[in-house]
Amino acid sequence: MKQWKDALIQGKKRVAMPIMTHPGIELTGKRVIDAVKNGELHYLAIKALADSFPTAASTIIMDLTVEAEAFGCKIIFGEHEVPAVSDRLVSDFDSVANLKIPNIQSGRVSEYLKASRLAAENIHDRPVLGGCIGPFSLAGRLFDMTEIMTAAFIEPETITLLLEKCTQFLISYAIEMKKTGINGIIMAEPAAGLLDESMCDQFSSVYVKRVVEAVQDDQFLFILHNCGNTGHLTQSMINTGAFGLHFGNKIDIIQVLKEVPPEILVMGNLDPVSVFKMATTKEMNLLTNQLLAATEEYPNFVLSSGCDTPPGVPVDNIIVFFETIEKFNKNKLLKNSLTY
Amino acid sequence: MENILEKIAYCVEFGKINKVSPYPPDMKGQDGADELTKLALEQGIPPVEILNKGFVLGMDRIGKKFSENKVFVPQMLMSAKAMSTGMQHLKPFFTSGEVVRKGKFIIGTVAGDLHDIGKNLVAMMVEGSGWEVIDLGVDVKSEKFIEHILSTKASAVALSALLTTTMVNMEKIVKDIRDQAPDVKICVGGAPVNLDFCLKIGADHYSPDPQGVVEYLNKLVA
Repeated sequence: MKQWKDALIQGKKRVAMPIMTHPGIELTGKRVIDAVKNGELHYLAIKALADSFPTAASTIIMDLTVEAEAFGCKIIFGEHEVPAVSDRLVSDFDSVANLKIPNIQSGRVSEYLKASRLAAENIHDRPVLGGCIGPFSLAGRLFDMTEIMTAAFIEPETITLLLEKCTQFLISYAIEMKKTGINGIIMAEPAAGLLDESMCDQFSSVYVKRVVEAVQDDQFLFILHNCGNTGHLTQSMINTGAFGLHFGNKIDIIQVLKEVPPEILVMGNLDPVSVFKMATTKEMNLLTNQLLAATEEYPNFVLSSGCDTPPGVPVDNIIVFFETIEKFNKNKLLKNSLTY
Repeated sequence: MENILEKIAYCVEFGKINKVSPYPPDMKGQDGADELTKLALEQGIPPVEILNKGFVLGMDRIGKKFSENKVFVPQMLMSAKAMSTGMQHLKPFFTSGEVVRKGKFIIGTVAGDLHDIGKNLVAMMVEGSGWEVIDLGVDVKSEKFIEHILSTKASAVALSALLTTTMVNMEKIVKDIRDQAPDVKICVGGAPVNLDFCLKIGADHYSPDPQGVVEYLNKLVA
């Protein structure tokens, strides 16, 4: 995968890897609830997307409840909505101390591993990237997101213990994902985006780094997604050692590209809702072109959505998105050949 | 009098809840918003003065710092916690009518979304600016928003969403509220929301941070 990453950076073509699994679910005529509970249907959605669009890599559903459910959280499932955690599981030091690190087959983890394995076995023309939640975002789901923000100040030893347990689980999960044959992982750590830089270092990045170090190598790529970073956490994200960083639509991506070392992939950041879902095809074309033009001089940039695209994205917009990139690449090639 | 009110404002600004709270580290062992509010009332300082020159001032300062990216969500929540702890001592004066608030404001996270951190921040900031806040919680459907708007005669309502997948539900809720309560002002917010989206779905106001909501509401009653 290091070769794949380096080839992207050295290549002359701009590629795209939007985080979109909902359109795949829709292509297979299934509901979100079907795909998030059944690894085979999940895989078929990924495969349908791979068969339909020239994405640079295939991605697993960004479902930020799988790991919390494994720990024992109650999950609410909607037919066409992403699942959500309904109640906190722990609330103080004692409950955190008593919290057991779950078995890697708990809850729906085994279904997500199945989806990863099937995708790795059957999609051969591009890398397959698995997915998991980040340690601080997982801890926030277990402790309650509002409460963890203040508990980090008032009872840091409780949160540190919780993060330790979350990290141990995530390392085991990442190793299991790697065994399925996939080529890398996108870790979603949006809650860390709410922290300042020193807190992000202390309560997120050091733990993310441990997961990165457990699985990332020349054959396995680690991408860290933090859509809450508005620019203040880029260095903290770099510090994790991930070979790829994925950014949300609130950030100035040009500033990011100036800050991130050229050997690290930078991915982002078209708005998944106001652009992918709600824009007209004309607007989609315009905004994609604008981002392509603005990032042209940065070879380590991979065009993507700023976060997971929601259900109901018009297929025409996705088609236009990829057509715009193709046209951009053709024009660039032509321009280069004329230059020589 | 000014000194104790300034101390309350300072505790709110820096998130000093009470004497036992270890945060902020440089105020360890000192009285917080809790003790100082009690003391101010014992000294006979009018509750409205405590509200305006203590809580509102402190929340205004932290809100501006948040807007300028000088502090982040955890610091804001500590301030809000300090404010709400002190505010508990003023509740009887709100009930008796001695302290009149600026208006009623309803807030909730939209249907399908169980995230509440952004909503809580806005609710605390708006309450800290002198409004009565009716927090409907998470996963709130149109019917519940409308029921409370009509029964409380609130001036404004805020819809929050954290997920790209649930923010799209705002459109229906805005339309439903417009049909039943056309005069109420509708604010939208949340990590994936932006002004473009706000305008597209026909809401009245979007701001990227809670301070923007406070400023918008205060303009409504100016």
